[in-house]
Amino acid sequence: MAFRNGVQRLSRNLPRLAAQSGAARGMATEKQIWNQIQSTKNIRKITASMKMVSAAKLKGDENRLAVAAPFNAWTKNMGSDRVWIETPADVDYAELPQKTLIVPLTSDKGLCGGINSFISRATKDCVAKLHAQGKECDIVVIGDKGRSQLNRAIPESITRAATEIISPGNFNLAAALSAELVAAGAEDYDAVMIVYNSYVNAAVYNQYYQIVKPMSGEGEDEPMIEYEFEPDVKSEVTQDLYEYLLTSQLFYSFMDGAAAEQSSRMTAMENASKNAGEMIDSLTLKYNRARQSRITTELIEIISGASALEEGK
Amino acid sequence: GEFGVTADHVPLVAQLKPGVLQILHEGSSEAEKYFVAGGWSITHPGSKTDITCPEAVKIDDIDSDAVTSGFEAAKTAFSAAESGSREQAEAQIDMEVNKSMGAALGITLS
Repeated sequence: MAFRNGVQRLSRNLPRLAAQSGAARGMATEKQIWNQIQSTKNIRKITASMKMVSAAKLKGDENRLAVAAPFNAWTKNMGSDRVWIETPADVDYAELPQKTLIVPLTSDKGLCGGINSFISRATKDCVAKLHAQGKECDIVVIGDKGRSQLNRAIPESITRAATEIISPGNFNLAAALSAELVAAGAEDYDAVMIVYNSYVNAAVYNQYYQIVKPMSGEGEDEPMIEYEFEPDVKSEVTQDLYEYLLTSQLFYSFMDGAAAEQSSRMTAMENASKNAGEMIDSLTLKYNRARQSRITTELIEIISGASALEEGK
Repeated sequence: GEFGVTADHVPLVAQLKPGVLQILHEGSSEAEKYFVAGGWSITHPGSKTDITCPEAVKIDDIDSDAVTSGFEAAKTAFSAAESGSREQAEAQIDMEVNKSMGAALGITLS
């Protein structure tokens, strides 16, 4: 009889005790927190390995950039230098001519931090300012990320898009791209403007734009008037020289952009791993608390069961 | 044709065909020789010259056997290709580059 009383008392108290232990509806159980911890650990492993892969690739890209910079140095004598877009609001693009072809360089793959957003923002800002100045412009986007971002914002300006460019490129790629641009009528524009990220160091990259002007114009505007040309037909030579100039600039911008992309991806993955680590720490604390309260509950059950039996005797 | 650039040369833009590029440094008699597949030489007013070539190889690094076999292969491709086709043009370019590489090494190929 006493035994039955004890069991009855226990069975009456059990729901209340269970609620006290925290297994109430809506709160994560121990098992759920454990699963969350495991999946976050996996994510941390993936982001850490992505970071190491990016660091290794960055080394290669830095070397390529170091070769590309002196290769492209001759273009500094052939026109204007690149312009740093430090604060997009401050750049007025006043020196751009009536018709410009904008070529923003973005990546195809994601998980690379802010590089593509910066380029899209600069391009959108440029288009808006050019239209305000009464000038025209068209866009040839390189890279899937830029294409989707700009397509959402200013689809009417986009003439062409080039995606699935295997990064990093080489000179042949730049040559093929510039041939495409010329075939699409790049020379009808008064200038081609390349918008790209430039690698400074592993933590810093800046946005630049580079203007490439075709060598046309007559009379006073005739370019390179003091130079002699070999072979003699100047128009043919300037046509080829323009293509080569565009290719060289594109090549350099590609190398710069690739290095910037890798450094940005490395930083983004590093931050992701750090955040995952912090999440794991706080989840582990939560898990331990849940585990301890479960143990406490079980102890209480046992003890109250035992004391109920004793009282009953 | 060939030309040399010295100080105060007239400003010149020249498209380069495959051949040998020689750089004579001040105070040294030995010239640095490179074989270039093409490129541009731009002499600016002010005695500064920019030479830009996508590919340049030191003459010493060129293997004469590879050049000879490359020329023969290009010659076969040239005769096999359709007259006036893209393949024929590419084979012809191949032949010319190999021929000038051979000339740089002192081998006559035809």
